[in-house]
Amino acid sequence: MKKIKILALAFIAGLVTFTSCNDDFVNTTPLDQLSQSTVWSDAALAEAFVTEIYAGLGVGGFEEQSLSSLTDETMFTHPGRGITTITEGRSNPADIGWVSGNIRWDNMYSRIRATNLALENLADPQFPNNNNIVERLQGEAKFMRAYYYHQLARYYGGVPLIDRPYKLGEADYLAARNTWAETVDFIVKDCDEAAKLLDGKKLANGRASKEAALALKSRILTYAASDLHDVPTAKSKSTTIASATNPELIGYASGSRADRWKKAQDASKAVLDLNRGYKVNLTEPATPPAQGTTNYMNIALARNGGETELLFARYFINAKQENGGRIGLYNGPNGYNNWAGNSPIQLLVDDYEMLDGTKFNWNDAKEAADPYANRDPRFDATILHEGSPWKVRSNANLPKDPASQIQTGRYEVIDATGKKVTHFGLDTRNSSIEDWNGSYTGYYMRKFTDPNPAIVDQNTWQEIPWPFFRYTEAIFNYAEACINLGQEAEARDWLNKIRFRAGMPAITDAGQALVERFRNEKRIEMVYEEQRFHDARRWMIAPSTLGRKANGIQIVGTLKPGKTVNVYKYSKENYDYSYARFEIDPGKENRNWDDKLYFLPISRAETNRNEKLVQNPGYTK
Amino acid sequence: MKDTTQRASLLGRLWLLTLTLLLTAAFGAFAQDVTVTGKVNDEAGAGIPGVNIVVKNSTRGTTTDADGNFSINSPSAKATLTMSSIGFTTQDIELNGRTNLTVQLAADTKSLSEVVVVGYGTQKKETVTGSVVSVKGDELVKSPALNLANTLAGRLPGVTVVNRSGEPGADGATIRIRGSNTLGNNNALIVIDGIPNREGGLDRINPADIESISVLKDAAAAIYGSRAANGVILITTKRGKTGKPSLTYSFNQGFANPTVIPKVANAQQYTSMLNDLNIYELPVAEWAAANEAYKTTGSFTRPNGIVRKAPYSPEDLQKYADGSDPWGHPNTDWYGETFKKNSPQSRHNVQLTGGTETFRYLASLGYQNQDAYYINSATGYKQYDIRINLDANINKYAKVTLGILGRQENRSYPTKSAGTIFRMLQRGKPQEPAYWPDGRPGPDIENGENPVVITTDLSGYDNNIRNFVQTNGSLEIKIPGVEGLKVTGTAAIDNRSDNGKFWQIPWTLYQRGSGFEADGTTPKLVASVRGPSEPRLSLSNSNRLNILLGTVVSYDKTIGNHTFNLLAGMNRETIKGDGFSAFRRYYISPALDQLFAGGDKSKDNDGGAFNTARINYFGRVGYNFKEKYLAEFLWRYDGSDIFPKETRYGFFPGIMLGWVVSEEGFWKNNVQAVNFLKIRGSVGQLGNDQIYYPNTSNLATYQYLSTYGFRSYVIGGSEVKTLYETRVPNPNITWEVATNSNIGLDAQLFNGKVTVELDAFSNHRTNILYFKNASVPESTGLNLPAENIGEVKNKGFEFNLGYRNSYKDLKYNFSVNGGYAQNKIIFWDEAPGAPEWQRSTGKPINTYVVYKYDGVFKDQGEIDANKLDYSAIVKTLRPGDMKYQDYNGDGKITPDDRVRLNNTNLPLFQGGMNIGAQYKNFDLTVLFQGAAGAKQYISTGEAGNIGNFLLDQYQNRWTIDNPSSVHPRIANRSDQYYSGGNDYWLRSSDYIRLKNLEIGYSIPTTILEKVGMSKVRFYFNGLNLFTWDKLKVFDPESNNATGYYYPQTKVVNFGLSATF
Repeated sequence: MKKIKILALAFIAGLVTFTSCNDDFVNTTPLDQLSQSTVWSDAALAEAFVTEIYAGLGVGGFEEQSLSSLTDETMFTHPGRGITTITEGRSNPADIGWVSGNIRWDNMYSRIRATNLALENLADPQFPNNNNIVERLQGEAKFMRAYYYHQLARYYGGVPLIDRPYKLGEADYLAARNTWAETVDFIVKDCDEAAKLLDGKKLANGRASKEAALALKSRILTYAASDLHDVPTAKSKSTTIASATNPELIGYASGSRADRWKKAQDASKAVLDLNRGYKVNLTEPATPPAQGTTNYMNIALARNGGETELLFARYFINAKQENGGRIGLYNGPNGYNNWAGNSPIQLLVDDYEMLDGTKFNWNDAKEAADPYANRDPRFDATILHEGSPWKVRSNANLPKDPASQIQTGRYEVIDATGKKVTHFGLDTRNSSIEDWNGSYTGYYMRKFTDPNPAIVDQNTWQEIPWPFFRYTEAIFNYAEACINLGQEAEARDWLNKIRFRAGMPAITDAGQALVERFRNEKRIEMVYEEQRFHDARRWMIAPSTLGRKANGIQIVGTLKPGKTVNVYKYSKENYDYSYARFEIDPGKENRNWDDKLYFLPISRAETNRNEKLVQNPGYTK
Repeated sequence: MKDTTQRASLLGRLWLLTLTLLLTAAFGAFAQDVTVTGKVNDEAGAGIPGVNIVVKNSTRGTTTDADGNFSINSPSAKATLTMSSIGFTTQDIELNGRTNLTVQLAADTKSLSEVVVVGYGTQKKETVTGSVVSVKGDELVKSPALNLANTLAGRLPGVTVVNRSGEPGADGATIRIRGSNTLGNNNALIVIDGIPNREGGLDRINPADIESISVLKDAAAAIYGSRAANGVILITTKRGKTGKPSLTYSFNQGFANPTVIPKVANAQQYTSMLNDLNIYELPVAEWAAANEAYKTTGSFTRPNGIVRKAPYSPEDLQKYADGSDPWGHPNTDWYGETFKKNSPQSRHNVQLTGGTETFRYLASLGYQNQDAYYINSATGYKQYDIRINLDANINKYAKVTLGILGRQENRSYPTKSAGTIFRMLQRGKPQEPAYWPDGRPGPDIENGENPVVITTDLSGYDNNIRNFVQTNGSLEIKIPGVEGLKVTGTAAIDNRSDNGKFWQIPWTLYQRGSGFEADGTTPKLVASVRGPSEPRLSLSNSNRLNILLGTVVSYDKTIGNHTFNLLAGMNRETIKGDGFSAFRRYYISPALDQLFAGGDKSKDNDGGAFNTARINYFGRVGYNFKEKYLAEFLWRYDGSDIFPKETRYGFFPGIMLGWVVSEEGFWKNNVQAVNFLKIRGSVGQLGNDQIYYPNTSNLATYQYLSTYGFRSYVIGGSEVKTLYETRVPNPNITWEVATNSNIGLDAQLFNGKVTVELDAFSNHRTNILYFKNASVPESTGLNLPAENIGEVKNKGFEFNLGYRNSYKDLKYNFSVNGGYAQNKIIFWDEAPGAPEWQRSTGKPINTYVVYKYDGVFKDQGEIDANKLDYSAIVKTLRPGDMKYQDYNGDGKITPDDRVRLNNTNLPLFQGGMNIGAQYKNFDLTVLFQGAAGAKQYISTGEAGNIGNFLLDQYQNRWTIDNPSSVHPRIANRSDQYYSGGNDYWLRSSDYIRLKNLEIGYSIPTTILEKVGMSKVRFYFNGLNLFTWDKLKVFDPESNNATGYYYPQTKVVNFGLSATF
């Protein structure tokens, strides 16, 4: 009897586990993921997949390092970010320098794969096509594929064109680069199809639209028609490119440039016909000049009507605190506890015309003595300089500057003992506030920073969107095509619309003077918008523009006789100011153009993986 | 904070209550019978610990203590005591009216006198055929380290233990058994009381609860097959022993300090370096003149007429040096201002044990409290734990064992991490004040972070409470009628909950304002509020439930000289977890830190869940002939939900053989000095299913499924859900396989005075789970899954040599051990295009690829004479720049000149030297521990205009006045081409340290008997007391290049233990 009991016990002990010999419980499923089939059989989930593709846009140009610091717009303050690797021409495929996540080869192709996956699955939708959601999602995916390829194309030239999702275990993953012409055609085709698929669709802010597709097409065709991508022209202007083994990867080896400009012109005109621009119908300069400043700020801040300019943008909201909302912290003055990352250089400042449309001239004693007066109204909306009124300083800093104006010089003040001492501006590298974060140049970025004093940049996120495409760019594209096609009057007309809005007088130049005027106009109007980096390259003016040494301003305020100032405040009454330009020290940043910089190198790691990849001209392997 | 304290005090009260109960139980058990005391000695006269003493024909029993003393209640003075101990012949002693006696047990010469825990059972050490090392809990309690992992270093040959940080609550160690064997997960499997992979791991187990720790290094681990590829650490907790209740209380009070506080430049040194950096921005031609001008006038007029002021004038430098102006020119020692001397840590343990032949119990309570180095530290760790182990023989056939562990781990931190705090300490500018002369805190280094403030609770707190409840029970049934056949059923449940509370509040710092206070001399200070713009609270909670159910059938049979042990079993394991979190901000005041009190705008919450499952079958066949020829076969057949159905199961066998040569007649008669010699060998296969995403601790699950994960993006003014493809699925993914072979030798010489253990191993890992991202081009856009692609070999050896002897009253022992392991990647995914000298295949795992440092351009002359083309990495060479070796000899310094080195930051060799001695009532234990073969990367990091330099860099740098051809010019925030990526910055981290020292004194038993106690011992011990190393600037166990981490601790500790 006892034995039976014990056997029964043993049996129960065994039963506990052996009943579960069925191993079904090992078939777990993830509780935080959805299966592929679920996603593609539900319209809302499919839409969520397509929406994620936009995340490859990163935070647009609102990263801490800005593309403008690789150009003659700004310089980057902090060391160790790989900026000077590029500006000093030290880039190599193993150490490229700073490359934004928005253009990184791996990121772009990862997002391109997502567009291919979406297009493959949307070709045979497993959900009801209510409100033509399938076409809409296809249109968005096509646009985004075109966008990511255009990013690759403008930085690298022709790239491998992958139009299907790879699977694991395929025999060959090595894809060679397509030619420049093929790459451009591919992008244009996707733009055309996207525009068609998205035609008539009302889409929420942040999504692609027909307008966006047209704008992208305008841009890529404008680039395609440019000097850099016309092999004969490029070769004649650069020995590095002349020695390229496969020039067809970066430009057109033959064909009519006029045809290309015509195509660009048509594409740009299609955008202009959308009639989306902000205040582009003025027939004379906006007055007073402050109105020009306001107009310009409305566009940059996308408010008060300025938002109509945006054809495609990256939006930010306070509820999701992303780095794109911290541009004020990244670039603002150290005297506000900000980091002064990308600081405008003197070369940019000097390119702002006088209000009357003449060039600013250091040799003009009056202008040199008061260089920030009577400038293009866009200047004050773009750059914080000595004396600019700005947000109220923090409680701790306010006693040092109750007036809350930008201080970028050094000034005489009278201390408590009545002695004349030097006060270093709060927004300099000799400041008593976080001196290591001061601008080297004496200027700070203002455009794109929300001037609302409630937004304390050091710990508040702002909601200004990043403009990928705005209407005005298409105007420039159109004008550029017109100039290249000899239609100078048409070009001037459109350029003057931009100038009137900004409160600037019309231009009347022709020929090469018009080209120069056009280039400067675009430099000023589109500053910090990731245009200059590409324009200087495709116009092949980089050696004489980006290759120049960065520079800044040294400002000294000397007390006028008989004046007594204890706490410094900008005042022409109390002070004589002197302004001296200086070159940035070579040990800090020694700008140096090298023709290899026309294109980014494909990383060493990737060429090691793929022997079919041909490296860009000027780089070893 | 309030919430936590309440919880803590409730727990404290419970603890006190239990303590009282235990004490009552112990004292209440005092018997009326005859108390017999005495000592059991070996032939050399040394006390034998752990001898079982039973009153014959009764259920009364006890065991001897560490010194061989015992005390037992006998029903009469005429009874007979049976004394038995492994390694000694059992003896019956008739009391014949004696109540105090000394007994000598004869050695059982056949035995090595030890039992070793192996997978699913124990074995006599002499019959062990695998490579198994073990350590007793009694050894571990000699270390004052509060984290169990840190007590292991130097004690277990072949086990590398590296402590990377000393932060309370986060001071664990990286443990590697025989080094690294694979590209991915190298963590050993930890088995506690037979249950694999228990929540919480080994770190926080109370050392006083540990009977022994065994490490299975070779095929011996095959019975744990699936997760045993990196070896197995078996932890066995103490269980009750037959005898009257015995209560032991121990108390430790320790004082901790950092082993190394980085030496940094002082204000005068640092500011002069800032002046240097300012000069280095100028064209080289102006350097000498600027240097001279800065030193003399502090103002330099450049050739272009622009006047340049030195950041710090000669007068400034003078004031920093002489300290004459504490307001304007302080000289701050940031570490000194932030750290206190001697951070206290304490530990209390109460352990009650006893029982009868049919029921034995052990209950153990522990409490520990650890403070951090900071003054007014917000960082601290508290732990409360209880363990109850019960064994009951229900009848002749059925036996039940139960174990319960309850533990609360209470971690408190400030709102800033140790990484941030130490970043700011290291960066801390010595020319800025930590506190103003009037005692108010000075300005921040950056982001409002002033170390003396952010180490306290002025910025809020970050508290985490982890509760563990672990139970394991088993029912063992001997099958009647079949001698030796047993069935054991096991159930283990782990419940873990994590509660986090993160409360951030703004804090106030003071900046120098303009002008002076009314007294005209005290500068005005301006308060500035830093940190978050308003109070914020995050709460988080997560729970896990692990269930393991298992059955084992075993059969032991001896037929003549043949002994068989058969075992087979199965387990099923499931883990389920979930969690949620909630966030609010816009608190109108920092006065109340509860969720409801937060603002209603921007409320946020989150949550999720996971599950995982495994099924395992395993078994063992053991055979020996007269304990002379030994053989063992082990296997495991495992299914893991990491793999798809088709490839889910893996079979992992192991075979081990042993030959006790000394049992052979020819040996016994001829080699008497070597009284025991065993040769053993093993080969086994083991599995690994743990895939981690590279450089993370995130487990890569569901690599075979095509799934999409969630993210979000801003569309139309709000955040919307998005989905991304988590990976391209790999339907063929399966087990990573380790094939480990070992040969070893165990010997005893001169009747056990000398012991020798030698092992050599070769581990071969194939099917390594890794990501193929080195050869698949990025242009595919594939998010690659793990694939079974790698192959690694790892070879090495271990030794353990011991000597023990006695001289009159002095007993002493001495042993050295060490382990060496060197791995090599045989195959993995590698880009085909890399030059041969950069390829990782054929090299150890995780090695550095760097330029070879070749001295420094001392002056312009050397640069002018230079023939190498540096233009690919630097356009203009300047004095003080580093020279690189043109490795491929093409006349140019290009990325092709980078070379893959052989070292990593894990040591190749780690060893220890133990010395033990006992003289009368004094005892001494010394452990030296060392490691060799690791290289640590030291970086100047952010040193420059935002942070201080190491004193080492100040002393050794190239300067205009004192140009060096060995050390480079200082850089600003590592902004020079030579600031990283070359082997100048790699330093040997070889070291030897006095890891552990203990000196103890036991009060003679004759005195204690009078007060009813059986043992009282006082001791002093220490951890990391002295270190000899080459790294110098940071602790040699560190793997941090910049010193941005909480340094390792040096502890001195005083303690006592009393047994009633």
